[in-house]
Amino acid sequence: MNQTNFTACPECDLLLKPGAPVVGDKAHCPRCGYLLQRPRKQSIERTFALSIAGLILIFPANLMPLVGIKMLGNTKDGTLWSGVVALFEEHLWGVAILVFLSSIIFPLLNIILSLLISAHLYFNKPNPYLAHWMRWLQHLDEWAMLEVYMLGIIVACVKLSATSELKFGFGLYAFVALLIVTGMLTSSLDKVLFWRQIGQLRK
Amino acid sequence: MKAQKTALTQGFIRCHDCGCLSKQAGKNRLCRLCGGRLHPRLPNSFQRTAALLLSAFCLYIPANIFPIMTITSLGVGEPHTIIGGIMALINGNMVPIALLVLVASILVPLLKLLGISLLLLNIHYRWQGRAKKWTILYRIIAFVGRWSMLDIFMISILVSLVDMGGVAQVIAGPAATAFAAVVVLTMFAAKNFDPRLLWDNQR
Repeated sequence: MNQTNFTACPECDLLLKPGAPVVGDKAHCPRCGYLLQRPRKQSIERTFALSIAGLILIFPANLMPLVGIKMLGNTKDGTLWSGVVALFEEHLWGVAILVFLSSIIFPLLNIILSLLISAHLYFNKPNPYLAHWMRWLQHLDEWAMLEVYMLGIIVACVKLSATSELKFGFGLYAFVALLIVTGMLTSSLDKVLFWRQIGQLRK
Repeated sequence: MKAQKTALTQGFIRCHDCGCLSKQAGKNRLCRLCGGRLHPRLPNSFQRTAALLLSAFCLYIPANIFPIMTITSLGVGEPHTIIGGIMALINGNMVPIALLVLVASILVPLLKLLGISLLLLNIHYRWQGRAKKWTILYRIIAFVGRWSMLDIFMISILVSLVDMGGVAQVIAGPAATAFAAVVVLTMFAAKNFDPRLLWDNQR
């Protein structure tokens, strides 16, 4: 039995003959129904383009005010960073670090890693770190929580709307755009294809 | 259930990261494609998941009985627990948002704690049958995990925005740290759980 002739389902370990799904198909495990592969049109090119877009958007989303409030004559703007600082000042270091990592650092790392990997694959440049980057990207993926943060902004705004006047800053629009771009980035990245390409570059 | 060939019974190990199959050999083998360490199943999956789950159970209690934030207006502080915050939303006629917070900060953590406990019981007592349904439970738990961070992000936004000295201020409470820890611990527990164990037990 040749080693490369088979694959296995990651969730039930069923030995499978790898099919060759085309764009638009979804390959499911016959036993547990796990989504094995969902090929995307121009996966590498799109990932490359979207990660550049994400890298551009992440700056206004982080640096410009997301929401501001006007309360009893005082105005105050909030950014991603100011939330972290406020938690830190109240000595909730653990929570502050968690918010910092999951709303700023991990999304940034995700985009940078996607950019590095897709750029190397796009230009066919072998790099000994490709596999490391890909592994990190897979592990970090679920810890970048921009969409949860968005929901947090919505709930906070609803809570505040009763007592104060809200205004939405430019950062919020950039943040929503970043959210859409990272969502598309995750869905355009075909892991099976990426690993196969990384393997081929190694040879 | 008819016996199907798994990669492990056929003498293959699937790499956790890149999915490449390797012939089973001695200890500490590395994957030939990505260089990752090979394990037939996630190492000590049961013990690690159980340990993380127990810690999460312990922290779930302070997370719910201590105030998660204190809202001060005109010098009068009003501590809110997680449930208290939901009640305040219902009283303020914001039922849809109250439901959202109820789902994200009470139902989802409970579902995760109980769900992972059931999965562990399943493996320990080798419950037969319906492995597919259990795998789906695992997938739901792994998917919803991050959404509980909603409350933490909301607090971080409120704390940074509502900071008008004695007039109006939101101060995060000790439950925030405990709650954040519950979310992170259950996410790690789900990550350390190996769903293939559910299938290995089937005869």
